[in-house]
This record gives sequence, structure tokens and C-alpha cells, in this order.
Amino acid sequence: MTTPRRRTPRRVAAAEPDLFGTTPVVEPIALPEPPRSYISEFIEHVGYPGESARSAVTVSMLTETARDVIEGAFVPIWVRGEISDFKAHRNGHWYFCLRDRTAQVRCVVWNRDQFRIPAAPDNGMQVAAFGRLTVYASRGEMQFTIARIEADGDGLRRKALEITRARLEADGLLALERKRPLPRFPRVIAVVTSPDGAALHDIKAVIRRRAANVRLVVVAAAVQGNSAPEELCFALDQVNRWGGADLVIIGRGGGAHEDLWAFNDERVARAVAACRVPTISAVGHEIDISICDLVADYRAPTPSAAAETATHSRQELQRELAKLSSHIAASTRAVVRSSADRLRHLARDVAAASNEHVASRRTQLETIAGRLHALSPLATLARGYAVARGEDGTTLDSIAAFRDRMPFELVVRDGVVPAKVSGPRRGSK
Amino acid sequence: MTTFEQRLARLEEIAAELDGEQLELSRALELFEEGIENLRAASEDVARAEARVQRLVERADGSFDLDESND
Repeated sequence: MTTPRRRTPRRVAAAEPDLFGTTPVVEPIALPEPPRSYISEFIEHVGYPGESARSAVTVSMLTETARDVIEGAFVPIWVRGEISDFKAHRNGHWYFCLRDRTAQVRCVVWNRDQFRIPAAPDNGMQVAAFGRLTVYASRGEMQFTIARIEADGDGLRRKALEITRARLEADGLLALERKRPLPRFPRVIAVVTSPDGAALHDIKAVIRRRAANVRLVVVAAAVQGNSAPEELCFALDQVNRWGGADLVIIGRGGGAHEDLWAFNDERVARAVAACRVPTISAVGHEIDISICDLVADYRAPTPSAAAETATHSRQELQRELAKLSSHIAASTRAVVRSSADRLRHLARDVAAASNEHVASRRTQLETIAGRLHALSPLATLARGYAVARGEDGTTLDSIAAFRDRMPFELVVRDGVVPAKVSGPRRGSK
Repeated sequence: MTTFEQRLARLEEIAAELDGEQLELSRALELFEEGIENLRAASEDVARAEARVQRLVERADGSFDLDESND
């Protein structure tokens, strides 16, 4: 049996050649012998450990030795097997067994390593697990300490997606009523993506081609890798704190399924939902649908499509203005025309009213004229009477008005006859 | 500053009011004039349209800068 915990002897570092290519001569330093361990003393007095009942080793020495041997013998490796007896302990660690038809090994995933695993595995899942074989000394058990797990058929990712989706759904973040309309003419569009990725390139190309009247503000974040979810959340938070954008496009170009994984992260989905302005999600290609897509107000199949949706070309804007212009002109013309019509009607009404007025006056006049005619002395004359009138025009209606030989006139129906008093006047009395 | 979108919204309001019943002529002409003014300004906006790309940079004190992008 080898001595446990053998120290590696320290070596004197070989002297490096100096700048001139010559190797300086260095006297080797004599190192002191390592201090004698309790093991060597034990060997001296009682013989090799475990050799006899007298030299029996302790249980801890046995398990510690086993641990040293096992841990020294295995590099971290991938192991394939089926999950069983899975238990997520209260302390946050996961315990389970990996087994095949004839053997099993106890496994643990420490809390701190779980972030690399999309979701807790289920019993019966076929997985490949990456870890180190260790000995859990206080129980004398062999234990496989796992850092990564990949399930067959991407089962863990699918499970993680389902869990995330269910949690977001429970909080109402996937509800269609939550979807906000996009601004029709955004001025400032925040683009949360990698500053040197294909997505930004495509978006820029689209808005330049369309000469869209917008400002793109790039908010940089890693879109893949371990730090991507946090960076995406941070960028979205920056957009909120800045407050200058009226639309957000979040996304990345196409890539392998794992590369798009950050956009399925629950934290990213919640950050998208918490965005104060409407969001367009554009992750990967058309066929890739992420959790982020489900939460955003609008899902674009690609980053280019997101830019197309967000903006209008100069021609579109001009068409829109022309439409409004002719609408306003036509409506104004209609109001002017109807006002003119009203005026014409009014004039006609006034004319009609005044004609009526004149007519009624004429009738009135004729009536009065008739009445006047009836009263006129001329009418009496017409019946054969005559009127005597003095030279001064006074009516001579009594014998007292006549003097001898006085000239006067007689007014008859059709004229005046000169006359003279020729005899004595005879009175009726 | 009035944005293109605000102008467009105002133009739409004007169009809607012009379509309304019993509009007085003087009001219609007033709206028309305002509409023409807005159309002119909006057309200028469109003509000036240019896509700019900037980068959001957060300073240590939590305030934000916009850097012009060079490409």
C-alpha cells in the first residue's frame, strides 16, 4: 500500500536563459527533508498500516485513503445512465442515482453548479452526466459529483422551456391582452443585441435602405454564453432607466439551438415584459420560437423583419401625407361647397319672400283703390250729376253762393262747361 | 418639438373634424390652413429623413450618453 498524501518534492526551477542567451550558473539550493509524518512513525513502531490487527487503520483513514486513490485515478468524465431516486433536498442540492441494468452510482449536483443545467432531471431520463468520482467519506460511499447534464433528445431544455412557459403563463405575461400596439412612427428604436452580430447588421441595412426617419440606439449585450441572460436583462433595464426609446427590438441572428438559449431564460422574458415601451422580439430564424418571442408585444421572424415592421420607408410616409392632403382638401372643398349651397338657397328664399311681400301689397293697393273709387265724386258724376264750381274752384252748393251774372263752371262726367247766372235765384224756402 | 407622429395625428384629427356634420365655414378654413401648415412641416420631416445609428453608453454616475456609431 502506498503512503497516503505523499508530498510532491519541490523542484528547483530551471534557470531561464537571460537576454544574451547565456544560462547563468545557479547553485542548486539544498532543500531540507520533509518532516517525518505520523505515518512513517506509525510504520516504524507498529508496521505497515492494516498489516495486522495491531496496525489496524481507522475507518476515516480507510475512507480518506480511498478518496485520495479514487480522486487521483479519475479525471472528470462523462457517464451515461438513467436517472432514478431523484431528490431535490431542502439544502438546495440534488441527489439521485445514475444506473444501468447492472450497476448504479450515487450522484449529487451542488446548488452552485445547477445554473449550468437547464432543469432538474426527471426519474427515468436517459442522460449523459459530466462529473468527478469522489468518496463521501463520512458515509463511506462513492459519489459522482456532477456539473453538467445533457438529456437524450434535449429533454432537459424542453422541460425547462415548459416550466418557464408555465410560470410566465401563471403570471399572465403571455396573455394576448398584454400586447401593446407598436408606435406607428417610432423616432428612437433601442436595439438590444450584440454590437457585432448579424442581427444589428441586418437591422441597420434595412433602415438605411428605407431611409426611415429613425434613430437606432444600440444597447450592447452578449446574446450567447453564460453571461448572456444577465447582460440582456441589464441592457433592457438600461433602456428603461434611460427612457429615450419609443420601441425596443431585442434579438440576434440565427445560430445553433444552444446559442439561442439565452432568449428562453425566464429572467430575460420577465425583463422583456417589464419593458416600459413596446417590444419586438427577433430571435434567430423563422422557425426558432423563443420564450422571449412569446412575451414581446410583437414577434418578428428575423431581425430584418423586425426592422421592416418597426419603420416606414420614405415613399410610404410620402404616400401617407399625400393621402391626408387630398383628404383634407376634399373635405374643405365639401364644406365650402355646402356653405355656398346654403347661401344660394338663402338668396332664393329671400327673393321669394320679398316677391310675395310685393304681391300682397299690390293686392292691398288694389282693394284700397277700389274703395277709393267707390267714394270718388267722379263716380257720382258718371251717373249724370254735375257739380258747380266757382272760379276759385270752390264747390257752389247753395243759392247763397251765387250772385247775379256770376260766372262759374259746371263739372260733368267728361269735362267742364263754363256757365253764368242768368236769372233771379229761387230758393227751396 | 412636434414630432412627425404628432403632426400626423393632428392631421388625422383635422381630417376627421372636417368630415364632421355642421361645420362652420370659418372653422373649416381655419382647419384647412392648419392642415396645410402641418402637411408642409411633415413633408419637410420626411425629406430630411435619415437613419442614424448610435450606441447607448452608461456613465459611472448612472447617466447616459449616446455615442455616434462609425459604421
